Amino acid sequence: MASFERFDDMCDLRLKPKILRNLLSEYVPNEKQPLVNFQSLSKVVSTISTHKLLSEDHKLQSKSKSAVDEWVERLLALVSSDMPDKSWVGIVLMGVTCQQCSSDRFFSSYSVWFNSLLSHVKNPESSRIVRVASCTSISDLLTRLSRFANTKKEAVSHAAKVILPVVKLLKEDSSEALWEGTVNLLSTVVILFPAAFHTSYDQVEEAIASKIFSAKTSSSLLKKLAHFLALLPKANKGDTTSWSLMMQKLLISINVHLNNFFQGLEKEEIGKKAIQRLAPPGKDAPLPLGGQNGSLDDAAWNSEQLIVSRVSALMYCSTMMLTSSYKCKRNIPVASLLSLVERVLAVNGSLPKDMLPFMTGIQQELVCAELPTLHSSALGLLRATIKSIRSQLLPYAASVVTLVKSYFKKCLLPELRIKLYTITKTLLKSMGLGMAMQLAEEIVSNASVDLDPKTVEGSDVVSSTNPSLANRAALKPCSKKRKHSTNSGVEAENAAFEVGVPHNHSSSPISLKLAALEALETLLTTGGALGSGSWRERVDKLLMMTATNACQGRWANAGETYHYLPNKSTEDLVEFKLAALGAFLASLVSPSRDRPAFLAEGLELFQTGKSQGEMKVAGFCAHALMSLEVVIHPRALPLDGLPSLSDQFPQNNSPDGNVLSKKWSVNVDVPSNNEIQRNVDLTLPLPEAKRLKRGNDLATVDSLSDPDHTDNVGSENVEQADVPTKKVPESTKESLGHVSEKDDMAPEEVYREVVSETREGEGLAVKDSLMEEAATDKKRESLGESDDDSIPSLEADDYLSSDSDIES
Amino acid sequence: MEETTVIASSSFDCGIGSWDLKTGNEQLRFKQCASPSHGLTAVGEKFLAASQLRNASGSSGSVFFWFWNKPQVEVRSFPVESITALTANSEGTYIVGGGASGDIFIWEVATGKLLKKWHAHYVSVTCLVFSGDDSLLVSGSQDGSVRVWSLIRLFDDQQRQHQERTLYEHKFDEHTMAVNDIVIDYGGCNALIVSASKDQTCKVWSLSQGKLLRSIIFPSKINALALDPGGSVFYAGGGDGNIYIGALNSKSDYATQFLGSVSDPSKAITCLAYCADGNLLISGSEGGVICVWNPRSRQPVRSFTFGHGKGPVNNIQVVRKTIVGNANKAQSSWKRNVSSLPPPLEKYERKGDDTVDGIVIVDPPLSSDVPVYSSYRSADFINEQVKELEQQGSAATEIEMERLKLEYKKSILMNDQWQKNYENLLQVVMEEELNGGSN
Repeated sequence: MASFERFDDMCDLRLKPKILRNLLSEYVPNEKQPLVNFQSLSKVVSTISTHKLLSEDHKLQSKSKSAVDEWVERLLALVSSDMPDKSWVGIVLMGVTCQQCSSDRFFSSYSVWFNSLLSHVKNPESSRIVRVASCTSISDLLTRLSRFANTKKEAVSHAAKVILPVVKLLKEDSSEALWEGTVNLLSTVVILFPAAFHTSYDQVEEAIASKIFSAKTSSSLLKKLAHFLALLPKANKGDTTSWSLMMQKLLISINVHLNNFFQGLEKEEIGKKAIQRLAPPGKDAPLPLGGQNGSLDDAAWNSEQLIVSRVSALMYCSTMMLTSSYKCKRNIPVASLLSLVERVLAVNGSLPKDMLPFMTGIQQELVCAELPTLHSSALGLLRATIKSIRSQLLPYAASVVTLVKSYFKKCLLPELRIKLYTITKTLLKSMGLGMAMQLAEEIVSNASVDLDPKTVEGSDVVSSTNPSLANRAALKPCSKKRKHSTNSGVEAENAAFEVGVPHNHSSSPISLKLAALEALETLLTTGGALGSGSWRERVDKLLMMTATNACQGRWANAGETYHYLPNKSTEDLVEFKLAALGAFLASLVSPSRDRPAFLAEGLELFQTGKSQGEMKVAGFCAHALMSLEVVIHPRALPLDGLPSLSDQFPQNNSPDGNVLSKKWSVNVDVPSNNEIQRNVDLTLPLPEAKRLKRGNDLATVDSLSDPDHTDNVGSENVEQADVPTKKVPESTKESLGHVSEKDDMAPEEVYREVVSETREGEGLAVKDSLMEEAATDKKRESLGESDDDSIPSLEADDYLSSDSDIES
Repeated sequence: MEETTVIASSSFDCGIGSWDLKTGNEQLRFKQCASPSHGLTAVGEKFLAASQLRNASGSSGSVFFWFWNKPQVEVRSFPVESITALTANSEGTYIVGGGASGDIFIWEVATGKLLKKWHAHYVSVTCLVFSGDDSLLVSGSQDGSVRVWSLIRLFDDQQRQHQERTLYEHKFDEHTMAVNDIVIDYGGCNALIVSASKDQTCKVWSLSQGKLLRSIIFPSKINALALDPGGSVFYAGGGDGNIYIGALNSKSDYATQFLGSVSDPSKAITCLAYCADGNLLISGSEGGVICVWNPRSRQPVRSFTFGHGKGPVNNIQVVRKTIVGNANKAQSSWKRNVSSLPPPLEKYERKGDDTVDGIVIVDPPLSSDVPVYSSYRSADFINEQVKELEQQGSAATEIEMERLKLEYKKSILMNDQWQKNYENLLQVVMEEELNGGSN
């Protein structure tokens, strides 16, 4: 008895045929047995894919082969069954088999399977659910077939057989589910075997277009149809002309629809001009979309909703054509696309003043109800246009910027604003810095409005009157004061949040805030340094507050998001938190002339966030802390193996050495020599630097005790500060704790030690300690400095900002 | 797969040499090229373009194109004046040329259209560099001026009419003599620009602040620059044959270090290029020797001789090409898709008519031979259907059930009604029959 057989474990190969047979007898119906329940099918499929039951192992050839044989036989019997439910089960399982079975089996029998599946599609007697299932299974069969490289021709001929019957189904039947199945199948064919459409291209186009134009299609199916139509130019030869022709047809069709829809809302010339541009009078105009019968004059003309859903579908199709990848070169009619977008966005439902009112109130109402959908599609088209040509947008970029700016001003609906933010993001990413220069102010002012929880009242984030913030030159000297005042300001405003009543205007949904945050983050990434002195401080503060609020859940109390809490999942809030933190991190790290003003707040926030339960947030906070580590400990690491001097000055082996040395003998006095020395220190590998020092020991040591020159010891990170006080790299201070035992050592001694160690030629391991010692050395200078002056060192102040705030 | 190629040209008619940087093998020698310094550029991965010195005396300039797989000149264009500096953006969609008069020209590669021409400098343009994201252009001139241009703003005719702003974003006039080379680092919006000049200095400028950060004096005039992207140092090729090293954050006014010098010290270094793949520095000298250095060890790795040592090398560029299958196939697939040669660069700006077509030509991705992908649907389809069936068990069927129950009740009532009618009728007929029978 089979049941006495034992198996090694769950991976034992001998298990496979057993399980498969079991599935076959328990869950899969046969001719006599009726189908017990459909739910078990899911179980069958998941078991098959988990255990790879159909893979047929070579080791157990006979057993597993016979089991799979049985399985396939049963399925074929079911497929040709008269009962629709049994036939359905056979067909869908056949689809799974096409995906899972071994290559040999598939290759030897796909033709048989294909024909038995296709017969259902062709057979008008078959029930609808059987036909839908057949389409799906054929799609999978073709997908598998496309992975065999050696049967291209046969595969194409098989695929070609599918097209006409399927198109017939599409025309005759009236079930959405069936349409969807056929469109899926056609999409598979056009992606995998574009050559299969050789003779049927026009027919397919016509069938699809007429479905898009039919009044009975649901919006999700419309999208699918439009997507397929966008893929269709791949078929045939997939050349440039068929792409251009399709695009031209689409644009004409869209504009014709709009001419009707915008009657009375825009001047007639606009529509005429658009059509003229697309089909210049001298040239032959292409056939309308969907061929001669592309019915544009049907009853649907009177329904605003229908026109808009059609136009949206056509625009979606154009969008897909722009963003999908084609093998051919594409001539993208940018000017026509942009003018179309401009045309749509220009109509906002108001009646032009210089025109006679053609429209009744009811008509206007109907149009206005549909306009947002139309605008949304137009914005999608604009984004796709930008994405498709990226840097080649250049000649048109200025007009796009104008368009975006003007639309930002009149756009109030959150959905549309979200799209607009996405477009600005795309613009920034594709055009970079030059675009940031153009769009920065627009993004900042709009995002400030959308992110601000209480826009109308004064003393808000944007128009901060804090004098020290406005003072650009305010660097280190007043940093203490500034920090303090900022902190208290934040506290005050946070307090206001908690008790504040949400204003109506602030009811921007969380998704809009998210989009605004992302746009700001992109702006900071591409052009953060540009804002120094203008918008940067505003943005930094805004982002700090947004992040703080998001993390403390204050938005929830401040009104609008509260409404979302019960029905929307917390995922939204997590997303928002991540976006807020991401933008805040960008504002801290993005280059700027000043030190990041809210570094302390940021560090604390990320530190707290790191221990949060939400793993995404915690992970991001950890990443943020790592990024900020470079900010708090600026690195001036020596370059490993950087080319360096073989001697003090290049006079020995430089052919023009005398020129160099002459220069130096004239110019070099002790301080500047020292200066060079330091510079070398910072950029050279240590051994080389030490070698240099050997020659200059005395001069160096002299200068060390000379406080006037200590300001030369600085890293690039602080050198730009306007205040000529002494600066010490942060890293120096960091090493303070580690090397305290050296503190009692005189600077000279340290240097000697360094030099002697180098002479001994210690390996890499020594380097670190050398560096630390050198750093200590410098630090000592600066410490001595700041002790002498009664004014505390400014860096120390920054470093300990929170403490000093409390003290003061 | 990527292949790193070094290309070099000379002011003598030595053609364009190309070498595989990894192996050092010489590749194709492109014929007929005598270009000015900064007159050679690779246009994306598509082709090579070089401005020609030959016609410089004549009224027009000339720019030639070569395909990677053919030594002959494929396309010749003749701009209105001689082009002294030539470059292309990284995608290879635009070619920018600087003229002897100080004008700068932007051509669209796909159509050859001259999109824009503007007066940038008072005298000849010596070098042109795109910023990292190709949105800004930095130009240097014979008179020592450096200008930063935002390309988007140059095309913004409207704004220019309304605002009385200068065309350029920044102008740097601190050099006292001709600017010989410009490099820009990876700092994005905060990038540093280094310019080298005949006045023996290299100057470091801040792009975001638009001002001079520091000036470094060298012992000789500097002809060429190359940036070590990761090391915040740059290499400067001197007129004395030395390669110097400068630090971007230098505190010193003087360059202190040098990398090495070419064998013949009387021959100036004329051009430098840096290859990040393997960290190699490539120098070209007046003596016609191209030397590949390992800047870390300061040792020359290998050298190529160009033009039999006759002509000075004055351009070197490192080009990275994607190899699809083999190089020929990639080339042919590009050619097949493009269908024909790129059109020559046009002489004059077209006025007015670009509102009519307004077409941008987008090339297919070079790696278009990657297999297309379509996913399997059956398993999901089954799950969906099963779910649908389950759902029908709840809401939809219940509604249907209620409807049927209602209909059933109606039918029963109707049935009763008919039954009654029938019985009544039967009774009537029976009575009639009985009455008739009795009659």
